[in-house]
Amino acid sequence: MREAQIQLRVMCSNDDEYVSEEDVWVLYKDREEWADVTPLTQDDGPNAVVKIAYTDAFTDVYDYFRAVVASGEMSERALELTEDAINMNAANYTVWQYRRKILKHLGSDLKKELAFCREMIEMNPKNYQVWHHRRVIVDWLKDASKELRLTEMIFSQDAKNYHAWEYRQWVLRTFKLFDGELDYVDRLLEEDVRNNSAWNQRHFTITQTTGFTPDVIQREVHYVKKAIEKVVNNESPWSYLRGVVQHCDGRMGSVGDLENWCRQMYEGGQRSPYLLTFIIDLMEDKMEHEPDLRPSVLKHCLQICICLATEHDQIRQEYWRYIGRNLSHRFGA
Amino acid sequence: MAGAAGEYKFLRSRHIKYLKRCLQVLPYSTVTFDTSRVTVLYFALSGLDLLEGLELEEEERQQIINWIYTLQILPTEDKEQLACAGFRGGTSLDSCRDVDGCADDVSLFDCGHITMTYTALASLLILGDDLSLVDRKAVLAHVAALQCPDGSFFSTRGGSENDMRFMYCAAAICYILQDFSAININSAVQYVLNSMSYEGAMGQGQYLEAHGGSNYCAVATLHLLGHLHTALSNSQRQRIVRWLVWRQSEGGLQGRPNKPPDTCYTFWVGAALQLLGGLEMVDVEALRQFVLSTQDPITGGLAKYPRSRPDGLHTYLGMAGLALLTRDSLRPIDPALNISQRALHHLHSLHRLHDASSTNGTASTQAHIK
Repeated sequence: MREAQIQLRVMCSNDDEYVSEEDVWVLYKDREEWADVTPLTQDDGPNAVVKIAYTDAFTDVYDYFRAVVASGEMSERALELTEDAINMNAANYTVWQYRRKILKHLGSDLKKELAFCREMIEMNPKNYQVWHHRRVIVDWLKDASKELRLTEMIFSQDAKNYHAWEYRQWVLRTFKLFDGELDYVDRLLEEDVRNNSAWNQRHFTITQTTGFTPDVIQREVHYVKKAIEKVVNNESPWSYLRGVVQHCDGRMGSVGDLENWCRQMYEGGQRSPYLLTFIIDLMEDKMEHEPDLRPSVLKHCLQICICLATEHDQIRQEYWRYIGRNLSHRFGA
Repeated sequence: MAGAAGEYKFLRSRHIKYLKRCLQVLPYSTVTFDTSRVTVLYFALSGLDLLEGLELEEEERQQIINWIYTLQILPTEDKEQLACAGFRGGTSLDSCRDVDGCADDVSLFDCGHITMTYTALASLLILGDDLSLVDRKAVLAHVAALQCPDGSFFSTRGGSENDMRFMYCAAAICYILQDFSAININSAVQYVLNSMSYEGAMGQGQYLEAHGGSNYCAVATLHLLGHLHTALSNSQRQRIVRWLVWRQSEGGLQGRPNKPPDTCYTFWVGAALQLLGGLEMVDVEALRQFVLSTQDPITGGLAKYPRSRPDGLHTYLGMAGLALLTRDSLRPIDPALNISQRALHHLHSLHRLHDASSTNGTASTQAHIK
């Protein structure tokens, strides 16, 4: 698309030797095909602050973009102009908005638009506007056949990109594409068991498909135990475990024999703060439901709070002291 | 820079210089802020305010106020036009609508933006303006027009994503103008509750991973709406506090589990903790040292991570976080509106004037807030 406007200037130091080759950007004001348009300059007033030191090319592109918006021109050349404006500032949501207006008006090939949008996403994977544009175009097309692959490509560079996860969830829900999702999450967790976004996606996928039925809860508890046994000091699966257990009607410790499982780890010398915190939660649940056991359980619980504060999680010592006081207040004599 | 005991010192005067430069001209590398310049202005002004470094000549102060007001879109009475009101973030498109014979829908491409409206109002308060030139009716119509059926907010009339960030901006605007009629509070609160993930804190929307920034927006919104203690049960608040204190990692605060600590979460996580009454539960000195380690000893300013290039956002939010910790003789900050308590007191005095004028109904006091 750009070839027509880019002139290749070949500079030669002598007749037969090329020393360099460069693309020359032709300003819109020097382009014959734009000669009929009067550029519209920006009015920043006499005392503007936080000015941006625009380049000449930027000012030129936006002078023409303003002129096009003012006249309401919707043409192929205006579409190309928005491409230049976006390339210079992909965060300008108005340019994207105007581009969509032109696409609609011209009945442009939206598959081509997806290709352009993909390029922009690759260049600006953490920009809100590119993902929003993608969503609108895919919604117009009612075709999400390329979308899961696109987000997977983004995750291969940054598996925790929040924009891409939000977008993927929208695609999965809107187009009901959950079939392979749990397998995909499995793969991500195998690559990195600390990927909290993947754990969240696991929870989301189950919520949207089978739901947390008693069988699924058993399966998930088993799954998460294996992940914790692989790396104990990892907040993400512990948090997921708590999330799964919340879906049961019964007591926390009875699910999947969690109480024994934790005790064994503890007796084996494991002192990860996440394990200790989970034990406190189990004991809190026990004190809630079995008042007779309160004195002995509370004593053990407070000991763990002290160990966390003084040894295993000193950075949060004030928090553990607070939790200790809180538990004493609630369950003490 | 690290001092004799290996501790970092707060480089106040360098940060003042850094923010004063932001106030004037930014390099081309920041061109993605072209449509949100007023937010950069707010970072610089609020940062200088916290540093007690905002000593402007009266003329300069008035010039900045005037520039901010040029960003306000003053609509006609037409309903659709009112929805497009509010403040823009910069002047990149405002000349389009002044052209003779311009396209009918040109104003759609020069709409107010809810974040820019919030940061413009906050900047005016920091500068001591009385908001008398704010078109309250139009700003509130703009806020009302941006709420979605699910309770969340869009950023602008022209089409955008909708999430927790813009809900916070709506709540802050309504708090500043002391008029919550523009928000359907029930659906806003429901959106916040739906966004609570199994992790115990809020994400950007339903089913999304809990996130330090989104969680701040959620907690501060509930606070500003006066629903923090009614919408959330005690145990829900306790779970948020736990999730927040778990964010401290290697001294600094991270936005999500298993991510590196980042300066901006000093404010997002710290302020949410403060609103929930738990800021003292993190290791304040370790956090402070992390933030100071991201200072640029030459140019001033704070970066996202140690040994990285500083920027306006991280400089301001790092400093706002330090202000919460009250260790570096920064002005105290209000965790909900993210302005100094000095600026907040000024706002409250405007509210009192407004209340008085509503009671008396006299023309002279009415003029203070239109």
